[in-house]
Amino acid sequence: MKRLGGPLLAVIRAGRGRAFPLLLLVAGALLLGRIENTALLAVREAQFDQYQRLMPRQRDSEPVVVVGIDSQSLLRHGQWPWPRDLLARLVDRIQAGQPLALGIDIVFAERDRYSPEVLADRLPGLPAEALAGLPDPDGQLAAGLAGHPTVLAVVGLDQPLPGSRQPARPLPVLTLDQRAASGLPHYAAALTSRPPLEKAAAGEGLINASPQRLQANDERGVLRSVPTLGLVNQMPFLSLPLEMVRQALGEHARVAPESGPGGMTAMRIGDYRVPTQADGELLLHFGPASSHYYLSAADVLAGVHPPELFAGRFAIVGFNSTGLQDRIVTPLGQSLPGIDIHVQVIESLLAGVALQRPYWMPWLELGALLLGGLLLVTVTPVLRPRYAVLAFAGLGVLLGGGGLLAFRHGGWLFDSASTLMLLSPVFMSLLANTLIAADGKRREAERQLQASREEAARVNGELGAARRIQMGLLPDPATRFAGDTRFAVAALLEPALAVGGDYYDCFMLDDKRLCLAIGDVSGKGIPASLFMAISKTLTGTLLRRQPDPGLALREIEDELNRENGECLFVTAFVAVVDVDSGLMEYVCAGHDAPILLRRGQASRVDTADIGGPPLCAAGDYPYRAGSLQLQPGDLLCLFTDGVTEARADGEMFGIERLMQLTTAVDRTELPAAVASLRDAVRDFEAGRPPADDLTLLLLRWNGTAV
Amino acid sequence: MNLPIREAAGVLIVSVSGRIDHTASEEFALALAPVLERCRQGASPVLLDFSAVDYISSAGLRVLMMASRQAKAQRGVLAIAALQPLVQEVFAISRFNLIVPCYASVDSACQVIAS
Repeated sequence: MKRLGGPLLAVIRAGRGRAFPLLLLVAGALLLGRIENTALLAVREAQFDQYQRLMPRQRDSEPVVVVGIDSQSLLRHGQWPWPRDLLARLVDRIQAGQPLALGIDIVFAERDRYSPEVLADRLPGLPAEALAGLPDPDGQLAAGLAGHPTVLAVVGLDQPLPGSRQPARPLPVLTLDQRAASGLPHYAAALTSRPPLEKAAAGEGLINASPQRLQANDERGVLRSVPTLGLVNQMPFLSLPLEMVRQALGEHARVAPESGPGGMTAMRIGDYRVPTQADGELLLHFGPASSHYYLSAADVLAGVHPPELFAGRFAIVGFNSTGLQDRIVTPLGQSLPGIDIHVQVIESLLAGVALQRPYWMPWLELGALLLGGLLLVTVTPVLRPRYAVLAFAGLGVLLGGGGLLAFRHGGWLFDSASTLMLLSPVFMSLLANTLIAADGKRREAERQLQASREEAARVNGELGAARRIQMGLLPDPATRFAGDTRFAVAALLEPALAVGGDYYDCFMLDDKRLCLAIGDVSGKGIPASLFMAISKTLTGTLLRRQPDPGLALREIEDELNRENGECLFVTAFVAVVDVDSGLMEYVCAGHDAPILLRRGQASRVDTADIGGPPLCAAGDYPYRAGSLQLQPGDLLCLFTDGVTEARADGEMFGIERLMQLTTAVDRTELPAAVASLRDAVRDFEAGRPPADDLTLLLLRWNGTAV
Repeated sequence: MNLPIREAAGVLIVSVSGRIDHTASEEFALALAPVLERCRQGASPVLLDFSAVDYISSAGLRVLMMASRQAKAQRGVLAIAALQPLVQEVFAISRFNLIVPCYASVDSACQVIAS
């Protein structure tokens, strides 16, 4: 799968996902140019047929009457072919109504069976007088045809057949340029009616229905177009229905084929004009079939219909019987007798309506394909998949709607279906690339999210470990000094979420010396916690060994500096109190000076002269100790900057506020005092997460007197 | 963090502004790094103009301490000038004037360190 998918993905993604779609577009353009040889032709034809089904030609008037030789006629007058005197009677019946023109969709190529010559041959024993007294059926028919605008059928033949002849009634005058003529059907010979009938008739018209098309097209049976003009040995003949119109218009009606760069563009007969294809074919816009204008030949012969029925209308005589007719299937899906085509052609010419697919239409389709393709190639990669799909759908609606509108407003046949089908692979390739890219991005995002989660978990774990080290080192003064009446100590450390390395410590160096320490390690995480642990341990150890706190501090700094790769430093305030005498010695390394509350008055322990920089910040600073004599009842408040630098709306808690609050807890039990100070800070922060650890260490010295 | 640099009397004056708390200190360290690279022996002295710094936390102080150590290692000159009162107080408590030379104003600092 991976082996197969790799090269495929590489092809789709080449050129930022645009190379392959462009290739597909070019292939599509080539395919569109040779659509006649592809299966897409079926799609195109089906689409055009669908247009006709959606919007068939309206048939408002019925200018043509068909006199059909139908089953009823055959039943009443015997098998076909009928004797021509019977047909002559039929013609006479019709001519009595003075139709505009009469077309006969039948070729009378041979002599009538009942003509005297034929009978004489078949029945040699017949007396000559009897034969002379017999009617001549061909002559009767010729007489019926003569003197009226009547048109006989001619079948153009590619190869001369026995009995084929050159028809006698070509178009009298026709100017036809070479380009137009080359596209027209050329016939070597024709099947025509007998010369006496030809002479009697006013004109002859071809009844061939696109023989080449039907041979070339595997989709047999659906008739979409018919020729308007054909040449039999270079002599021009109109199709039967058009010749009928010409005859109806009279001698002066001029036949003028119009031509453009590609061949014929329209056929003009008199004032009527209908657009054609380059090869002179008329793309019929079919109307729904109707049986209104079909009359039975038997009824006409019997005089059922008044002759006026034919007045001012065209009449066609032809077959309409199950046994004899040729049936065609129209794009509307209806099976009709072939004769109905003539009716539709006459109606089309009179209304000037036909479908059009001029020589430039394929170029327009190619242009639409290329333009649409380039648009997709440009737009799809920068759109989200859902909008890309919408864009393609929009393009489809535009093309499809355009095709429908073009058909509706002029019978233009624009092939939007093939164009869209050829655009689909282009779009799918583009969309595939977009989806692949999106999928890749999503995976990458997931990977990063996972990585950041792991990182967060790691950091949390580390911070958690650091926090446990920090909190585990803190003593509980309440249990440590329980029962000692000389002093009271209370402490509190509330860690912030992310940072902070505060610590406090309180322990007895011996039976009367109490050591208090508070500190703040710069930095965070495990290194800061370990640094704090080391500081705390060293403080205890070295202070026991070295009675002078100043000297002890110098030693602590020396020891800390030995292992300080992280360049951490720590601020610290360390006090050693003789709880019997109340004498306090203290050192300060860059830490805030504690508050001393004496008889309700708050002040700061004086560190101005003895204070030094934080431990490990400068290196080698000669720390010295200061001293202070405590009075019974004195309250000492050690704190870190987590208290004074707590923030609310740009304002800091500040030392002044802390001193004031300390005054308020002068007489309070120490654990409650510590809690009350902490609450004051949290109230001040008003729910904001604390930025730094908060540490408070309170000492109240009661003195020996108590 | 944006650190505009100007040069006056042969001194690189770096204008620092805002609150340098725990969060901002990392940014401050990153922004300061390229300036410190230039703080070497024979090169122009570097003066941090702190007139627009409202607050500095211990994390910020640590950045300054490490900057000072780097400058000393490179034998360059690094100084700070124009501390606001609140920042001055922090410096006083932690004795940071012992670690980085501090001056009352940019002008007075330039006079001293330019020579």
